[in-house]
Amino acid sequence: MRTMAAENIIEMLHITKEFPGIIANDDITLQLRRGEIHALLGENGAGKSTLMSVLFGLYQPEKGVIKKNGQEVKINDPNDATALGIGMVHQHFKLIEVFTVLDNIILGAETTKAGFLQKKEARKKVEALSQRYGLKVDLDAKVEDITVGMQQRVEILKMLYRDNEILIFDEPTAVLTPQEIDELMDTMREFAKEGKSILFISHKLNEIMAVADRVTVLRKGKYIGTVDTKDTDKQSLSNMMVGRPVQLEVTKAPAQPGEPILEVKDFTVPSKAHKKNAVNNVSFQARAGEILCIAGIDGNGQTELVYGLTGLEKSSGGTVTLCGRDISHASIRHRGEQMSHIPEDRHKHGLVLDFTLEQNLVLQRFRESRFQHMGFIDQRAVREYAEGLIEQYDVRSGQGPVTRARSMSGGNQQKAIIAREVDREKPLIVAVQPTRGLDVGAIEYIHSQLVAERDKGKAVLLVSLELDEVMSLSDRILVMYEGEIVGELDPKETTVQELGLYMAGAKRMDMSRKEGEGA
Amino acid sequence: MKERHTLLEKEGTKSVLASLISIIIGLLVGSILILVVGAFSDNLGLGSAWEGIRLVFFGIFSTGRNAAGALTWGFNPQSIGNMLFRATPLILTGLSVAVAFKTGLFNIGAPGQYLMGTLATLAIALGIPSTALPGPLLWLLAFLGGILAGALWGCIPGLVKAFLNINEVLACIMTNWIAANLVTWFFDVNKMFQNTVENTKTSYIYKTAYGRTFVDGAWTYVDGNGVSTAKLGLDKLFPGSQVNAGILIAILFAILVYILMTKTTLGYELKACGANRHAARYAGVNDKRNIVLSMAIAGALSGAGAALYYLSGNTEFFWSTYQALPATGFNGIPVALLAANNPIAVIFTGIFMSMLNIVGLQLTKLTAYNEYITDVIISVIVYLSAFSLVIKMLLTSRRKHREAAAPAAVPPAEPAAPPVEPAESLTESAPPAEMPPVEAPPAEAPDAAAEKGGEQA
Repeated sequence: MRTMAAENIIEMLHITKEFPGIIANDDITLQLRRGEIHALLGENGAGKSTLMSVLFGLYQPEKGVIKKNGQEVKINDPNDATALGIGMVHQHFKLIEVFTVLDNIILGAETTKAGFLQKKEARKKVEALSQRYGLKVDLDAKVEDITVGMQQRVEILKMLYRDNEILIFDEPTAVLTPQEIDELMDTMREFAKEGKSILFISHKLNEIMAVADRVTVLRKGKYIGTVDTKDTDKQSLSNMMVGRPVQLEVTKAPAQPGEPILEVKDFTVPSKAHKKNAVNNVSFQARAGEILCIAGIDGNGQTELVYGLTGLEKSSGGTVTLCGRDISHASIRHRGEQMSHIPEDRHKHGLVLDFTLEQNLVLQRFRESRFQHMGFIDQRAVREYAEGLIEQYDVRSGQGPVTRARSMSGGNQQKAIIAREVDREKPLIVAVQPTRGLDVGAIEYIHSQLVAERDKGKAVLLVSLELDEVMSLSDRILVMYEGEIVGELDPKETTVQELGLYMAGAKRMDMSRKEGEGA
Repeated sequence: MKERHTLLEKEGTKSVLASLISIIIGLLVGSILILVVGAFSDNLGLGSAWEGIRLVFFGIFSTGRNAAGALTWGFNPQSIGNMLFRATPLILTGLSVAVAFKTGLFNIGAPGQYLMGTLATLAIALGIPSTALPGPLLWLLAFLGGILAGALWGCIPGLVKAFLNINEVLACIMTNWIAANLVTWFFDVNKMFQNTVENTKTSYIYKTAYGRTFVDGAWTYVDGNGVSTAKLGLDKLFPGSQVNAGILIAILFAILVYILMTKTTLGYELKACGANRHAARYAGVNDKRNIVLSMAIAGALSGAGAALYYLSGNTEFFWSTYQALPATGFNGIPVALLAANNPIAVIFTGIFMSMLNIVGLQLTKLTAYNEYITDVIISVIVYLSAFSLVIKMLLTSRRKHREAAAPAAVPPAEPAAPPVEPAESLTESAPPAEMPPVEAPPAEAPDAAAEKGGEQA
């Protein structure tokens, strides 16, 4: 279809990169054709990021060569990569928050005359690029004030400004709304049409199937294969990625909601960032035996809602009733007696990283008489309990209970938190993005745990940004937009598109009547 | 499962090694200084420099000069006894700083807490007539008073930090000077505490060995009527020195702090607050209470240090402190840093710091150098003790380098060190992990960024 389709612009041949004790890339070969969108698929720890870091000059491989247009090249640092026309949008943007968008774009590639910045010329060039690709940005806004979607467009413009022809996107869709994702896909296709080559790192199969021409799959540092997307499907890709047949869909029986466990009425939480309330007059119920999901784009008050419910932040109005008790003003510890909380940020709230695994597993429970006598911690009881949990939940770590939490992999850190919270056996489980950043295998496991808890008659309040997760795991969906609940949907009856419209604020229900749909 | 590391790879060994390297560099720098000063000074010369250097390293074992004028060496009970005596308050201020550090607080307020402890101790010991109470009871009362005063003074920065979120370092510095002026004011106003018996001295308070006694219709101070810490035979062991049971109490306190921090739920809470205040809050720990409590404990320890120092009976307090804070308070910081905040190690680093003090005195006594040379050495060590983390990191990375260079040397069962860490985590130790540690570095960076993102949300 494409005229120069068969020409390889970048070839990474037999790349091996070792770190002490681990081979991150083991003889990996990746060939990127001119004008194609090439996806790089693999679980966490499969070596995708390492491979891209090698290409971008951040690491030197022990073995293997990189060729551009058939010529062997040496990429010692990102400057070499830039000189070769390789640009990268990192998963977490590398922008200076207090600089303007324009300053960020030209930083490191400024046009100067006698040592003075020539911003006018730069502005013209950026404006032209922005118009040509429909990448709308506000050049004079500070990065800290613009949306995540716009920040990403800034990153893309940075690459274009440097006339890069090989564009690496590292998990670019993680922070975007469905609509923004569609726009990004269009932009990527546009680039490809113009002959730019795109490497697209992802573990989201939908997106890969939608936009990529070919996929290279890595698993545990090894090259598994490269396939054309038109010759494959999601299931076989995920099997390649994980190495065993994976349950992509969550299997669960229909929910049997019982008594309301959590009742929230006119709940309001003030915002720290601005004068508006982060959560505004929100009311809902979570029942025993159901998974209630709060969906929405990041930053629409979900975090604050959870902080307010769990007591991490003070609410300014409304009531929260948990198991019949008013906990609106109760302490965190008091609330914790009836509630488990799998926090959004496992490093900030979930774990004390410098503590050992066993210390982390009793983070709330160390005061129970089981683990202490007269204020002295019963180390043996803690050890036994930790060993039990580690075995039951298959938490893997270097030294078992005495492993520092910091040295564990993200998936196992999350498993440890889940083990701790689920084992506390509280009637309500608040789970905030429980699978963020985890690979398919771990996600499958965590989903099955949450469903099992639901079936035990617990209420699960799930906050998720992942649409797939929202659709497949929840029994009922509430959509939050700008601090308010704008819709209640049944996942069996709604579609991702409709959900997206609510999330973007384009559609809302009158929640006081819970019927009819306003514009 | 636990004993898989060789001795050299243990965190503790690395800490000790890092501290030793700091100390040795400090002593070497001091030696160079002595050499330079000696070489360019008319009345010193290289011969004196060599003597000076030997004294810096081994001064604690110096016994003076023999008839021929050569330095003599051996067991010097007086030096060692005095070293232990002076170590007493240092160990306690060191513990004070270490406890706060463990809770994530920098207690630079030890001098102020020490001064307030001094004030309370002396006011009680000298204020209450020695006939009113049995000596040991009065001693105990004064000791507890010092502890309480230190604790209360420590609470102030703690409260300000917990409820107003004002940096404890600022609050500590300010309360230090408030304490200094308060103490001066107190002893200026209450003239009765001022030592008039030995009238060669001004601005000194009576030693606690002087007891307040009613003689011939007036209150006066009589030597020997007051309180002093029991010697428990230590004076027999180290004749001619000031040593008393205070050092044993200091060691006991260190052990108690160790037990508190490692074995109790309170210690667990304090450490959780220090390591990750957010996670501690999440788990239902009352972080505000713990911050105040931690500063109170820190203050109590500093106060105890002051109490033990001045209750010896033979130490005098120069009360006009408004221009200078007691060095003992500040020296708690290097003591704690050198000990890597380990309460047991504080015993040794406290003794080491006081040894340098004794060395300074020997230097002054035996050579034309003055004791300030040792102050320079102490300062170098103070700087380097802050570097001990960096040195520890170098020790770690050197090992990694070796492993990277010779992967074959790593036995397969050996847990793998995580790959090179991103720059922001340079000061963190890298504990080995057996699991393939997630993805290579770039995958770790996002986590850090995610943390940042979380805070913004």
